[in-house]
Amino acid sequence: MSSSVLGAFGVLALFVMLFLRVPVWIALTLVGFVGNAILSGIRPTLALAGTVPFDVGAAYTLSVVPLFVLMGEVASESRLSGELFKAARVILSGFRGGLAVATLAASALFGAVSGSSLANAATMTRMALPELRKAGYDDGFATGCIAAGGSTDILIPPSIILVIYAAIAELSLPRLLAAGLLPGLVLTALYMGVALIVAYLKPHYAPDTENYSLRERIAALRDPWQFLALFVVTIGGIYAGVFSPTEAASIGAAGAILLGVIGRRLGTKDILRAIENSVIVSGVLFVIVMGANLFSFFIVQTHLPELLLDAARAFNLTGLAVMMIIILGYIVLGCFLEGIGMVLITVPVFQPIIVQFGYDPIWFAIIVVVMVEVGLIHPPVGMNLFVIQAQAPDVKIASIYRGILPFLVAPLMLIVLLFWFPSLALWLPKLFYG
Amino acid sequence: MAYNRAPVLFERLRVAQLRVAAIALVMMMSVTVLDVFLRYVFNRPIRGSYDFVEFMLVIFVFNGISTAFLQRRNIVIDLIDTFTGRRFIAALIRITDLMSLATLVLFAYAMLTPAWQAWSYGDRKLDLGLPTSVLWAAALVGIAGAILCAVGALFTPAANRTEHDTADETAE
Repeated sequence: MSSSVLGAFGVLALFVMLFLRVPVWIALTLVGFVGNAILSGIRPTLALAGTVPFDVGAAYTLSVVPLFVLMGEVASESRLSGELFKAARVILSGFRGGLAVATLAASALFGAVSGSSLANAATMTRMALPELRKAGYDDGFATGCIAAGGSTDILIPPSIILVIYAAIAELSLPRLLAAGLLPGLVLTALYMGVALIVAYLKPHYAPDTENYSLRERIAALRDPWQFLALFVVTIGGIYAGVFSPTEAASIGAAGAILLGVIGRRLGTKDILRAIENSVIVSGVLFVIVMGANLFSFFIVQTHLPELLLDAARAFNLTGLAVMMIIILGYIVLGCFLEGIGMVLITVPVFQPIIVQFGYDPIWFAIIVVVMVEVGLIHPPVGMNLFVIQAQAPDVKIASIYRGILPFLVAPLMLIVLLFWFPSLALWLPKLFYG
Repeated sequence: MAYNRAPVLFERLRVAQLRVAAIALVMMMSVTVLDVFLRYVFNRPIRGSYDFVEFMLVIFVFNGISTAFLQRRNIVIDLIDTFTGRRFIAALIRITDLMSLATLVLFAYAMLTPAWQAWSYGDRKLDLGLPTSVLWAAALVGIAGAILCAVGALFTPAANRTEHDTADETAE
């Protein structure tokens, strides 16, 4: 059996294991271990299995993961998002669908201090859903806004998925974080456009009556200053080259704690809960990265990407056609895989192929993350939708599915924009890092 | 929830490891912030802060994973739950408990040789001068705890966790 065929069997075995509820990290580890053992022998594979967990666990570059997770957890615990939502609803009042647009704006701003889409969706469900329902919004439309807004979190830095992507694809983290910002903002604007169109076409979905004076709107601009301060210091610090990502994440986490304590929104119990949650979430991520490293070694050895590349050339496929196939593949995978798993399984296979077709790996990373976002919000297994339903059990899942459907257009439009204007993702990294 | 019914000793071990990891995280954050402050304000960075963060990260990671094993918080694709019976799911959970244990043991066994080599060669971290064998020892102690927690999971009911719990644990 050739190594490429073995690679294909390995990927198949991985999917079978995942389907049979084997945890993602075990499936990656076992396929990686057995595959490497077949190709290189048991001794070198044992040596690899001995050093990979330690190398991952002692990688300074990955220390940014728990620190950014902590920053998001603290922001969540300190209910900063409540103030953010309050400010957004005042500033964006006075037109139909204003509260929906405010929810999306608050989600995007919360994304500037949180790296987790699910945390964003959970937090905004607690903060915004009761207000949206009080204002008479349709349940499906309201939850659709929250789910869509939450998904922008993984594009707008800091993004945990981009941190892990950078580690697994050996890309520069600051460049990736810079690349995600503009597409994240464009996606937020597209979501807002969808919300306004839905509110226009179905006025009973969004019966807005709130209208605040100019003075009140200007006064409300003061409230989100903590978010802007944290974002400017942390992410701005990385962009400006003042801080390394780990330093920025540490300052962000410490700053979020400080702001929460000073604002009396954060007690000792809240801080401890945020730290414990960060430990648990990060632990889950680190074992996956360990497994993904073993899996990547295996994929590199199989030359599977080269085989797929040869196949694409044999069929005279253009780079665009290959990208379309990959994107369709992500839509299908998003139906049953969660985001991190989707990235870690596919990137070692796809990245070498798209680079051969002349695409920029940073641009491709943003495309992949947008597709992960689609996976987070599209039925039947969009995790954001489940998070919202878990927080608001009286909203039927069918309503949530109906509510999210119009919003699915936005990330697909963003994909089209990224193809037309690759600089949407590549301009900022080029500006900051040359 | 199932994980609250874990035998007391395993639960205590999990909590102890969680606290060790939490302390390591706070140390990592504090030392880095202090280093940045001293560097920019007094032009006197903390020597060895990079090595210290790496050391704390090792303690953090290998102690932080235990909760995921005892409480079955590792990410799974639970699509199959929608069209199979509870007994079948319980059997799958039990099998994956065993696989978790076996994979952790495999990692720990494979780590013994490089750990031994680090000790016998006497490698040290560049700035802090800390022997790398100390980091390996910390990793092995942590993973031993994780193995015990994976054993502990075998003594808890093979019940599914709720969607809410599953959602909270992931970070995408």
